[in-house]
Amino acid sequence: MNTFLNLTVYGLSDGAILALAALGFVLIYKATGVINFAQGELLLIGAYTLYAAFVVFRLPMGVAVIIGVVFAILLGLVIERLILRPLVGENAISVIMVTIGLAALLRAVVQMIFGTRPVPQPALLPRTPIELLPGTSVPANRLLVILIAAIVLTAFTMFFRRSRHGIAMRAVADDQQAALTMGISVRRIFAMAWALAALSALVGGILLGDVTEVSGRLASFGLFVFPVVILGGLDSVPGTIVGGLTIGLTYQYVSGYGDPGLAQIAPYLLLLAILLVRPYGLFGETRIERV
Amino acid sequence: MQKQRWAVAIAAATTLALTGCAPDSATTGGESDGPIKIGIIADLTGATGDVGTPYNEGMLGYIDWINAEGGIDGREIDATSKDYAYDVPTAERLYKEYINDGAVAIQGWGTGDSEALMNKVAADELPFMSASYAEVLTDPAEAPYNFVVAPTYSDQMRVALNWISEDAGGQAEVAMFHNDSPFGLAPLADGQSWISDQGLDLNMKPYPMPAGSANYVGLLSQAKQQGAKYIVIQNVSSPAAQVAKDIEAQGLDMKIVCLNWCADEQFVDTAGPASEGHVLVQPFAPITADMEGHQVIEEYLTEKGSSLADEGLHYAQGWYTMHIMAEGIKAALEEGDDLSGAAIREALETMGAIDTGGVVGAGEVEFSEDSHRGSTSTGIYVAKGGEMEPLETGVTPE
Amino acid sequence: MAATATGIFHRSYQRELSLRHTKAEYFRLALVLAAMVVVPYMVDNYWLSIVNTILIAVIGAVGLNILVGFTGQISLGQGGFLAVGAFTSALLYQRADLPAPLSIACAVVVTAGAGALFGLPALRLKGLYLAIATLASQEIIVFIARRWSFLRDGSAPMSVDRLHIGGFEITRELFEWQWYWILLTCAVLSVLAARNLFRSGLGRSFMAVRDQDIAASAMGVNVTRAKVTAFAVSSGFVGFAGALSAHYTETVTWESFTLEVSILYLAMIIVGGLGSIAGSVYGAFFMMLIPVFLNELLHAVGDTVPFLLSRLPAIENAVFGLVIIIFLLSEPRGLDRIWQRMKDYIRFWPFRY
Repeated sequence: MNTFLNLTVYGLSDGAILALAALGFVLIYKATGVINFAQGELLLIGAYTLYAAFVVFRLPMGVAVIIGVVFAILLGLVIERLILRPLVGENAISVIMVTIGLAALLRAVVQMIFGTRPVPQPALLPRTPIELLPGTSVPANRLLVILIAAIVLTAFTMFFRRSRHGIAMRAVADDQQAALTMGISVRRIFAMAWALAALSALVGGILLGDVTEVSGRLASFGLFVFPVVILGGLDSVPGTIVGGLTIGLTYQYVSGYGDPGLAQIAPYLLLLAILLVRPYGLFGETRIERV
Repeated sequence: MQKQRWAVAIAAATTLALTGCAPDSATTGGESDGPIKIGIIADLTGATGDVGTPYNEGMLGYIDWINAEGGIDGREIDATSKDYAYDVPTAERLYKEYINDGAVAIQGWGTGDSEALMNKVAADELPFMSASYAEVLTDPAEAPYNFVVAPTYSDQMRVALNWISEDAGGQAEVAMFHNDSPFGLAPLADGQSWISDQGLDLNMKPYPMPAGSANYVGLLSQAKQQGAKYIVIQNVSSPAAQVAKDIEAQGLDMKIVCLNWCADEQFVDTAGPASEGHVLVQPFAPITADMEGHQVIEEYLTEKGSSLADEGLHYAQGWYTMHIMAEGIKAALEEGDDLSGAAIREALETMGAIDTGGVVGAGEVEFSEDSHRGSTSTGIYVAKGGEMEPLETGVTPE
Repeated sequence: MAATATGIFHRSYQRELSLRHTKAEYFRLALVLAAMVVVPYMVDNYWLSIVNTILIAVIGAVGLNILVGFTGQISLGQGGFLAVGAFTSALLYQRADLPAPLSIACAVVVTAGAGALFGLPALRLKGLYLAIATLASQEIIVFIARRWSFLRDGSAPMSVDRLHIGGFEITRELFEWQWYWILLTCAVLSVLAARNLFRSGLGRSFMAVRDQDIAASAMGVNVTRAKVTAFAVSSGFVGFAGALSAHYTETVTWESFTLEVSILYLAMIIVGGLGSIAGSVYGAFFMMLIPVFLNELLHAVGDTVPFLLSRLPAIENAVFGLVIIIFLLSEPRGLDRIWQRMKDYIRFWPFRY
């Protein structure tokens, strides 16, 4: 088996899911300035929503996905309205803390309803091994994950480039005051940011739950979002994609060629190294502060 | 100014004097009648909560059952069980709470808390049993009040290596995938010495499994480069199941040999068809083995509207661990002693074999003054068609 | 706007700087001192052990508040620095046979040094990036603590012998009692030291860096020195707390220093009040007592509602998260501000403000 190719495919598939998760984080941060520590829990809820609709209620896949989408959007809107909006303008740390509290709450709610053991979910994507090179095969679901994530990420990029709302979000991310004077409803943009973040987390969570398992462990995947964001910067979707893929590949290569235990902190070492050289991330714009 | 200085001086003097007068320390000791207090520290929501929950429920089920049968010598067991989520400081806090409540014995859970509390239980003279089978807990010189009911991780490793050596019929490369923590490393050194002491023609290399990983292909490719055909896994079910799935996806010719924490129904269920053919080293008999000891549990559960098949073998594991402690308490009471931790310890060491109906090891658990290792025998099973089928039972490291 | 009593006139700068001005404030202080002295006689050993744990947390929270609340540097690395302090003191005490006060002092110095080291990158990083860098430091320190076999006794976590200083040794019967006085003294000294720090020029420079670091540097505050010193001082306090916890719990294991601990300390200072030493104390008490009280409450209620009992741990976590959220939504400036408002209400009464 060609180790390198193998590791690359797995790294790209994990990285693609990371990019989806990080996308939501970046959306929220750029539009509202909130550092969202509950991103991993949004992944978790996404996966469990699909499980509930598809397995528990036995709905057909298409309907289950639509329910998942609706639920994710509603959840994002509710969180923004009830929890984040009252804290607009508060200390950054207070807002971080509130997202941490939210993360604990979401995790506990999932635990309360579904328990701590992994829930049985049939494979959504086919697992048949596909031979890339003679002797090297990867399961189809990993390749499909890359494909699906790519489609969703492209859709988001198009949304930001072409659609009115997307451009409005970029405007708010750039300069809130100016956007307000242009007649953009900043409040609506905040709500949209959270809704879209929950949506991308839904897709990421479903994919992750399918290739691994649907259990409480999904939430801890969210911690890797931070190195991704540092790498990719906070200003563009392509940057997030590059960041996610890089971290996924780094993790995979370290576990394949080096000490696997080190793979867990390799992303953090990488990000520290980058921050030493470029304090605003690899692709970040230098913030100009005025007194 | 003068007045202020005087006031401060008098206050300081009074405080110093007060520090000298300590209050009466709470006397802990078994009452001659009344309920027997036991403290249980459980992981219900932490990293190992998925196996900790049925284990805890098994314990509570046993207590409920025995109280319904009249308790121990007419005295009910009053057990308090609290979740510590694998957070060692919380375990320490709960331990202090239980001491304060007058517990005479403690049931712990993981290697982290068992080892952290090892010295404290010795100083406070409280027998401590847990689901940690680390070798260090079996030595009365190091841990005089710890009792390990099942074969240690090292014993399981020895049994696994023996089996691998037999199965390979000669030379074999072995990869050891382990949890990236002291729990994971526990059997490694003893495994390596066993290989050299017994002259086994095996080469074992350790690979730590990073937590929260979505796939273990990296480790598998390293194992493949090593030429390993056997993978011993010292971790819990979920990561082990992921390894099984990855092996199947890659079409690798490798056999997993799971030690007790991933050798259960959960591994088989989560891995699904990928679990086929993998070997499970499990000292506690699985439900399908339908041992004599399972029947009493099944009766109890059916009354409650559940069944052993629903609860899993960790339920039986908890049940019988509590049973062993209860037998020790019973023996201490029958000796006519005051119910104290030291008395229970002596009883456990001297009472001889405790019957567990075939569920723990070969069925009997025995402690002695020199060894707090209750049993060295374990069972080897293979996953076939979604079930654990026995290959060999009652295997001891020889 | 905080109210002060009228009729307080200072005749010297020294008087103005003093920590207490009015009779009412002295009275409240006397009450607190009386409570501190009386507590060990009133509560049993279990609750005393909880108080002891809280006292250690107070020291840690004060340290974190110096960095986060007073200097405005977000830090998720609390667990890592606690680990550095704990392991240093334990290693020196156990393996090098240093007397306990010396090993603890060394731990403080070493942790302060580590803090200064981590403070250097902080000179360039702000906000989110600093938070993530400290998160990275936390994960890396825990990784080292988990893997480095030097920090273990074989495969078991390092155990620390019972504290003895010269001839005096902590006894088993009076364990909590004796530790209470030691920890109380340490906590009181730490709080006083921190309060005093912010009466000095150095403390004011920290606050200047928090409010407007560019303006501060324009005014002549050496921002580099202030930030690095803030990290060092804060880490010193945290190392002190870590060292004390190593001796108190008599075991040092990596599991006590995970990210959850860092988050718990952040919760303490935010719920207590950023930028306030008293807030750190309130926050430490509040956050450490919540799980304890929750446990008691749910066990009392759980007997009557069996369904709740089976989902007990999930409910505990949910309530924990809810408490943080509700607290932050209703009073983001913490317990300190709530107390302040209560005092103001009485002072301003019958006026509204």
